[in-house]
Parts: sequence; structure tokens; C-alpha cells
Amino acid sequence: MRDYLGHVWAVAAKDLALEMRSRERLVGMGTFAVLVAVVWSFSLDPAVRPRSVAGAMIWVTIFFAGMLGLGRSFALEREQEALTGVLLAPVDRGAIFLGKFLANLLILLAVEALIFPVYGLFFGIGLGGSLGGVALVVGLASVGFVALGTLFGAVAAHTRLGETLLPILLLPLLIPVVIFGVSATQRLLIGRPVAEVMGSVRMLAAFDLIYLFVCTLAFGSVVEE
Amino acid sequence: MSTTPPVVEARGLEKRFGFRTAVGPLDMRLAPGEFTVIFGPNGAGKTTLLRLLAGIARPTRGEVWIAGERVGEGGNDWRCRLGVLSHQSYLYPGLSASENLAFYARLYGIDRREDRVRQALADVGLAERAGDRVRDFSRGMQQRLALARTLLHDPGVVFLDEPYSGLDPHAAALLRRVLERLREQGRTVLLVTHNLSQGLELADRVVVQARGRWVSDEPRSAVDAAGWEAEYTARVAAA
Repeated sequence: MRDYLGHVWAVAAKDLALEMRSRERLVGMGTFAVLVAVVWSFSLDPAVRPRSVAGAMIWVTIFFAGMLGLGRSFALEREQEALTGVLLAPVDRGAIFLGKFLANLLILLAVEALIFPVYGLFFGIGLGGSLGGVALVVGLASVGFVALGTLFGAVAAHTRLGETLLPILLLPLLIPVVIFGVSATQRLLIGRPVAEVMGSVRMLAAFDLIYLFVCTLAFGSVVEE
Repeated sequence: MSTTPPVVEARGLEKRFGFRTAVGPLDMRLAPGEFTVIFGPNGAGKTTLLRLLAGIARPTRGEVWIAGERVGEGGNDWRCRLGVLSHQSYLYPGLSASENLAFYARLYGIDRREDRVRQALADVGLAERAGDRVRDFSRGMQQRLALARTLLHDPGVVFLDEPYSGLDPHAAALLRRVLERLREQGRTVLLVTHNLSQGLELADRVVVQARGRWVSDEPRSAVDAAGWEAEYTARVAAA
């Protein structure tokens, strides 16, 4: 178990070190997120209260910024076929998946930490007393999103279509995360109590466990020729 | 053929891509400490064979055994015994030479990682470039670092695919010294190349592969170096 966790951390630390050097994904995802917020700010009818559509605006931004980053995750591995070198090592394929997942999740959470202040600035959407609830919902929805995105990022990297294929594969399976994540976030942002979204929170947690379990098991079949 | 149990064995190994057979069907064994060289023209299936033996690619039919373990099933011990040097370096260009080796050292569970990484870099003449990113290395330097990665965990079985490609004379001489050392240490080496003279230098056993099959397999002592080029050409043409 200690070896397994050590391998998970080695893969994650390697991906994070590469990202901290290049900042390729953070800059790309962050720029995209700000750009989408600017587009929303010019397109919303002044009669519409931004808070009433904030959940949708924020999650559209997170999903598409996230897909930009997830698509690049396996580009690191394609150059010099580095993933093959990792697969040659005595490392459980599930540990490799979880390492990639962990790095992708931390990068997405960093971008999300930028998205909320940006929306606060552009639309006056403050989190106020709902900070804990929103953090819980966004965190859980992000786990499911990144688990699926990491697996399908690996699938897409092994095809000629590459990153173009990722949204096509990913979006249909993301529907439960979209439904429960967006609706719960929206309710919290309009000031509903956390207790009202606990059903969605439980569903997100259940889907996270299913996605993580299935993706960890399936990863080996995806990356081996 | 040796009666010693083989350290690498393939039984009925075959790889097809659609209707095209890239390798096999092939039965082969490598005895412990044997230095085998496979010669063959481009497209003969040499790299595919190496990928099948290393478990990187799945065979269409047949099975591979390394050190008594079936490749691709269950345990991982055979991976600890195997080092693979390929056309690609399997390195991360954005990391430094020492970070790349430290990463692999961690995956292989190597103790005293820092010492081992320092030694591995010194062995391939890259100690002074330890902190430089691989992206800034020349092709030859990347190949030397890839060699250090291959041998980092002290594998008993080493597969080398065109290891001389991209090396300048100095680096080629260094590689030759490393290969000689592997031979002296009794490692089992499978070297794939189409460079006839370099391949013959260290071989115990010489194989010619063409159209995915082994068209000849003989001890080095049976090969006449002077006439080998003509002999090799004739064997490939007859395949």
C-alpha cells in the first residue's frame, strides 16, 4: 500500500513539477476562464440578475476550461513516449491513473480558485455564507469531472483525433455531474441552505466513487497497446 | 541450444496489424548471460518484436515469459528485471536529467536514490549536466540519458533498439564500453540493429529477421565477419 501511494504521489508530483515549470495549462485555462466571464458580462441582459444564472455561467467556464487542461495532460506523456517508460516500470496502472488524476484535480482546483473571484468581480456574485457549501459541491463535482476527463484524455491521446475527441467522449458521461453540480451550486448561490442540496451532494459523492473505481480499473486497458 | 532454463522465452508469438503479420509466429529463447543481436532491414518487425517481448505491445497470439513470469499477467517482478532502450527516450523534456532519473528511481523502488542517480549520470558522462533540462540536450545526450534510465534499476535483462542511432563517435564509444560491461557482468542482452559491424562486435548469437520471422539463428563463432554483409543481404533477399 505504501508503495502504491508512493507511486501515486511520484506521478502527481512529476506532473505538477512540469506544470509549475511551463505554466502551460494554468495560463491557458485561466485566460480562457477570464475570457468567458468577459463574454458573459457583455451578453447578459441588464434585466437579468446575474446571480440567477451564476451556477450555469460558472460551470460552463469550469467544464470547458477543464477540458482544455485535461486534453493537455497526456500531451506531456506523448512527447518522447514517456508514458511507455512509466508502463515498463513495476507500477500498478491504477496508481498511474490516480497520480495523473490527482495532478489534474489540483490544477483544476487552482483555476476554480481564480474563477470565483473573477465572477465576483464581474457580476458581484459573493459567496458570503455559502462558501463552505459551494466549496463542497464544486470539489465533489470536480472529482467526478477530472476522473472521467483523465481517463478519456488518455483515450483521446491514443487516437489520431487527439484532443478534438475529448469533449465528444466526455460530455455524455458527464451528465450526472452537470445535473447535480450545476443545480446545487445555483441553489447555494441564491442563498438556499446547504441542507437543501444534501441530496445532490450525496449523488455527486456516489458518482465520484463509481467514476474513480471504474476509471482506475479501466486505465490499464486504455494505455496498453 | 543451451539446456539452461531461458531467461526470456516466446512461444507461438505473433503480432498482426489488420491482415498484415508484423511478427511471427515465432518461438525463441534467450539463455542467461547471452548477448543476442538481431539484424534485419527496415520493416522486418524488429522493433515490434522488442515491444512484444517487453510487454509494451500485446501479442495477437502466443505468450512471452521473462524470468519465469508470464509477461502481461499478474505480478510485476519481471518488470524489475527488465531494462528497455528504444528509439524514443521515454524521458520528460521539461524535467532535468537528474529529475527524470529520480522519478524513474522512485517508480522502481530504488534505495538511496540520490546516490544511484548521481552514479548513473556519471556512468554516461552527464554528471555535469544533471540540472539541465532534457529539452536542451542534443539527440546524442538524450540517448545517453535514456541509457542511464534503462540501466538505473540494474536489470538482468536488457533490450536495446538501435542504441547507436544519433550518437557521435565519442558517445558511441561510451555506449560500447557500457555494453561490454553488461556482457562481462553476465546480463542477458537483446540488441536490435541494422548496423552489421557494430552488432557483430559483442554478439554471442546472431539472428537475422525479415518479414517478421527469424530466417537464421546461429552462434557468433559461425559467422564470418568479412563475408557477413553479402551473406546477410542474401538471407534477407531469400526471405
